[in-house]
Amino acid sequence: MSTQTVAIVSHRFGYGFYRQAWWNWLIGSAFFFGEIGAGFFLVSQLTGNFTGMVLGYLIVMVGKNTAHLKFLGRPMRFWRAALRPDRSWIARGIWATGLFGVSGLALLLKNSGQISLSDSTLALANTVASLSALFIMFYDGFVMNFSHAVPFWHSSLLPVLCLTYAALGGTTLTITLRELQGVHDAYGVVLLRTEFVLLVLNLLLLLIYVKRMSSSQVAAARETVRLLVKGPYAKVFIGLVILVGLVATLLLSLAQNQIQQNWLAVVIATCELTGDYAFLMVLLKSGLFSPQTAPAYARG
Amino acid sequence: MARLGMVIDLKRCVGCNACTIACKQENGTPAGVHFARVINREVGTYPNVKRTFLPVLCNHCDDAPCLKACPTGATFQRPDGIVMVDDDSCIGCRACAVSCPYLNRHFIDHGMLQKGLSDDGLTPFEQVKFAGFQEGTMTKCTFCAHRVDHGLQPACVITCPTEARIFGDLDEENGILQTLIRERNSWTLLPEAKTKPCVYYLDE
Repeated sequence: MSTQTVAIVSHRFGYGFYRQAWWNWLIGSAFFFGEIGAGFFLVSQLTGNFTGMVLGYLIVMVGKNTAHLKFLGRPMRFWRAALRPDRSWIARGIWATGLFGVSGLALLLKNSGQISLSDSTLALANTVASLSALFIMFYDGFVMNFSHAVPFWHSSLLPVLCLTYAALGGTTLTITLRELQGVHDAYGVVLLRTEFVLLVLNLLLLLIYVKRMSSSQVAAARETVRLLVKGPYAKVFIGLVILVGLVATLLLSLAQNQIQQNWLAVVIATCELTGDYAFLMVLLKSGLFSPQTAPAYARG
Repeated sequence: MARLGMVIDLKRCVGCNACTIACKQENGTPAGVHFARVINREVGTYPNVKRTFLPVLCNHCDDAPCLKACPTGATFQRPDGIVMVDDDSCIGCRACAVSCPYLNRHFIDHGMLQKGLSDDGLTPFEQVKFAGFQEGTMTKCTFCAHRVDHGLQPACVITCPTEARIFGDLDEENGILQTLIRERNSWTLLPEAKTKPCVYYLDE
């Protein structure tokens, strides 16, 4: 069965690929805020930037959680989503976000001098905050890749891609914040090099992902690649995700290495975040379910 | 304990959608929600063209992905294999819908239960039936569990004018279902999804 002969149908009585319409921009926004917020917090924590930690914490706890609650059909029952961490990545994510909320708040209060913590408690809070932030950076990749029903998402590369995007977003935001704060220390060079490596890595991973899916045995995955590369999402995917989000960001960050300008740092962050958000949105929008088919029916 | 399942004989199906209507009437689902539906497709090239019909409903999979994706445990499987949703536990995250390769999950969006099929508000029938749904939660085919529990067959089965649907115990040794599955060319939808569906199809 060739993908050219099967259309994308708009209703469930028709035969063809079915669009994934369950998870919309609110879920995309929640994933985006979770990834960049946790990345921002973690990188700021590692480089000792208190303001970055506060901003990262707020992006996760306000941005991500608000988007999730707004999306839920029954938001007042959200706590029930934590009941099955043994089998659901969503439940694990809720636990990680909860742990991040408590340990992150403890760290922020300690750093602002509002509370005092013993050395062992501080070490525990640091460890839990770091690990939970790391988990928030990639768990949405597992939430999506758990679905066999949307073949384009069902790849072990997706959580890796989410992690590298989150690390990239966190690094870029930390660099921008430091530029705006006028902080120039030994971390500056390390962060710029890390950003460069992550940009190249993201670009490679994204190309490998699309290449692998283009030769997938499942027609729905190949059809999604067609939508991304030649179809209606090509402008967003190639234009925003690849050219603006990765290529332009890479070139501008090379220029930033030379001229170190505040405004350029803001432009780089804007480009990177635009690409990151566009990536998550296009990933959700281009997801397709396979046609309901079996040997006799597919024979045509 | 029986393991309930269904066999659908495509040789008999005429694509009349009586199952769709019977299900709609039995379960009183809101507009746009169809637990049972018939996918139709034109195949062949002129002049040898025909229309084929594929009646679909929840497969009540033995290894149901919707059950594994549900973070609250609202989706559960009864001992007889029927996969159900507990409305009171569902948070409407739609993870089950994203994980079901058969698109047999339905979201009762806000406002759906205030709008009937006609423009004149809810009919008395809709008022009664819609009371069984909760906005902001997922719903799905239950194999008409409320009927099965009283020894009756699902609405789509008793309504089918060509008796294309056969409902019963998949584990019954030499029962009608096992015999048909064994002796006719049977298959399940999307076997590559490895969900072990309990709805089997017999070839045209």
